[in-house]
Amino acid sequence: MMSHVRSTLSLGRNRSASIATCSGETALVLLSQSNDVFQNLALEDWIEANVDLRRRGVLLLWRNRPAVVIGRHQNPWAECHLPAMRAAGVPLARRRSGGGTVFHDLGNLNLTFFSSKTAYDRRRNLKVVTEALRRLRPALDVRATDRFDILLNGHFKISGSAARLSRKSSYHHCTLLHSADRSALAEMLRPSCPGIHSNATPSVPSPVTNLLDHAPTLQWEELLDALVHQYNAEFSSSSSSSSITVDPGDEAAFPGVGASAAELCGWDWTFGRTPKFRVETVLQLTDERAAARCSARLQVEVKGGVVESCRLDVPDDWLPPRLSSEVSGVLVGGRFCRHRAAAAITELTRSESGELRSRLKDLGDAVLTVIG
Amino acid sequence: MLSRSRCAYRTLGRSLSAASQANNVLCRQSVSGLTVGSQLVYRNSPPCEFGSSANVPHIRYFKTSTVHREDVVTVKTPAFAESVSEGDVRWDKAVGDSVTEDEVVCEIETDKTSVQVPAPAAGVIEELLVPDGGKVEAGMPLFKLRRGAVSAKAAPSPAAEAPAAAPPPPPPAPAAGPPVAPQAAQVQRVSAIQPAAAAPAAAPLTSAGRGEHRVKMNRMRLRIAQRLKEAQTTCAMLTTFNEVDMSNIQEMRTTHKDAFLKKHSTKLGFMSAFVRAAAHALTEQPAVNAVIDDSTKEIVYRDYVDISVAVATPKGLVVPVIRNVETMNFADIEKTINALGEKARNNELAVEDMDGGTFTISNGGVFGSMFGTPIINPPQSAILGMHGIFDRPVAIGGKVEIRPMMYVALTYDHRLVDGREAVTFLRKIKAVVEDPRMLLLDM
Repeated sequence: MMSHVRSTLSLGRNRSASIATCSGETALVLLSQSNDVFQNLALEDWIEANVDLRRRGVLLLWRNRPAVVIGRHQNPWAECHLPAMRAAGVPLARRRSGGGTVFHDLGNLNLTFFSSKTAYDRRRNLKVVTEALRRLRPALDVRATDRFDILLNGHFKISGSAARLSRKSSYHHCTLLHSADRSALAEMLRPSCPGIHSNATPSVPSPVTNLLDHAPTLQWEELLDALVHQYNAEFSSSSSSSSITVDPGDEAAFPGVGASAAELCGWDWTFGRTPKFRVETVLQLTDERAAARCSARLQVEVKGGVVESCRLDVPDDWLPPRLSSEVSGVLVGGRFCRHRAAAAITELTRSESGELRSRLKDLGDAVLTVIG
Repeated sequence: MLSRSRCAYRTLGRSLSAASQANNVLCRQSVSGLTVGSQLVYRNSPPCEFGSSANVPHIRYFKTSTVHREDVVTVKTPAFAESVSEGDVRWDKAVGDSVTEDEVVCEIETDKTSVQVPAPAAGVIEELLVPDGGKVEAGMPLFKLRRGAVSAKAAPSPAAEAPAAAPPPPPPAPAAGPPVAPQAAQVQRVSAIQPAAAAPAAAPLTSAGRGEHRVKMNRMRLRIAQRLKEAQTTCAMLTTFNEVDMSNIQEMRTTHKDAFLKKHSTKLGFMSAFVRAAAHALTEQPAVNAVIDDSTKEIVYRDYVDISVAVATPKGLVVPVIRNVETMNFADIEKTINALGEKARNNELAVEDMDGGTFTISNGGVFGSMFGTPIINPPQSAILGMHGIFDRPVAIGGKVEIRPMMYVALTYDHRLVDGREAVTFLRKIKAVVEDPRMLLLDM
């Protein structure tokens, strides 16, 4: 076992100043003590904006309670199952880097390599991971690919990457599957909204596996230590295993991080940032007694998470045209969101009664199922 | 309306990270010393006085160090890292948007990397040369920026900071108009006077100005408006008032709230008392629970009591319905209200949770309202408005005592409910809330 030094960051502005402006060639390794995906993403933003990365880099290690994280330019309705996530209490987060959708849980380790734009080198970063794994378990066949994934035994993906190049600096982060819940992953990462046409960045699905399945004795702490040690060996003049534990909820140490986390969990960022897309699907409608059925066509255009246009083609004998056009009309201008749609449709059902009303409600429910 | 708030929101988000950058162009703290309200002060640049400002001696112009003349610049796609050849553009700004120097205009997604493209100077976006999601290669022209003409719309967050700079007295603003216009081409400045060359889409939102801003009403708002007006025209709406002494119910709450929380895992609030009181009164006076069907000219009496409770959530007003309240006790009611609140927060409210209802209760008290006339929520015949609880001196047994009092209002449809019924109904609610034992005694 390697010896290591872990010190906890004490509170106070002078300590944050030490992280932000510390000079010297020593690479810095930070360990987040939070398991909240929004706090950790906000911490990434804070480090990127406030730490001087020209002289040396920073490595941040973090893990989250179950959450689905989509890439900057992705469409959540196309990438994950919103009702399943809601039922399981799994939040959705949109990160600021590009790339595809991932499922995070406490068995998945996230590594963020911060550097200046000139020192940005994803291959070198991934080498830290593969070398650390090779030292730990030489029998494991781990290799980084051209797409900056890490494959185990040439076939199973254990790590995926994404990156962000901003005005001053850059970061490259990747996942590392140690012991994630694979069935939950499959459950959450399937789309719930049918018929989406969009040019948002798609995810490339791959077969995945956990390190623990292939190296049953590999402990979490052991993995962390090896990575810290390897990072220091690669990026700093001294080879040590020291890391600093940080609390991303500490406003004094990271001023502005709370507001940043609040922005990240807001609807406007998570859903409102979706590139323009169209939904075209067929709804199956039945009336209250399930005696009669019909099909209706739904076409919705959504821009910035808001319904720009909506068209509902319902057979005239099922619902009078004025009612179907009322439904589509009342959805326009509102968010493509279940809550908003339910409130809008309720406005209409209030004025109807009897069979029309139950058919209207059924139509409303079908639309809500599409929205997720 | 939605787009404007999004724009402000985005700018605020960016200012937040920009504020911690070392090379900060927009400094939010330095808004002192302004005479014209919506001017921005650039901390890094020296003040500059122009000859013609002698016409209006109390206005100072500030110029940034980088921009000297108005001019259109074509920004090209930057080189990508690690020999990547192409990427997809995602626009953050639109034509007509104002940007400050270094503000992100678009992001290019290349190979799982998101690259930010900042504006080289402050100005207004003139043209986007690639569609959203389109492919670009390094060196390709990306967008056109017109330097210099920064409209006051660009600064919602500094403007929010600038209440310290008092709104300028109206006379200097129009007076400054004519002599200032020729300066627009030379000076990089923000003022209350909109330079003629500003992008057509920009709506000048000035603190001294008198511009207008038109936003089309969306169908949902129109529908609600229409329904409310219909209610007003069809119903003969009248309101009767009363006041409720909340001492007993407050005392009951204080005594039992911990045990209640322990047994039912829900907090004991005041809504349950009013909801239960209303249900009791509605079963005793079915006319208030009924509704007129104007199409068939019939009165529809209902055997069940479904109470709609108006709740203000961050996402807007929702009116979930508690069904069959006549069968519920205080604990059931609190649990149901809680469950509906949870559903609303988790975005789970379905159409059947909000549909229907025979009676509505709205609580203006949470906003501090003292007194007011609620409007009926059709197709119903009455609505109870609760207001704030305020300590007031009242006469009890010939003496003045201070009691926590709440005004309550009942707006009802006089076509169906007559005055005596309405007053009796409200008095019943008052009696039950003031002494919940009335429910046990069925009085």
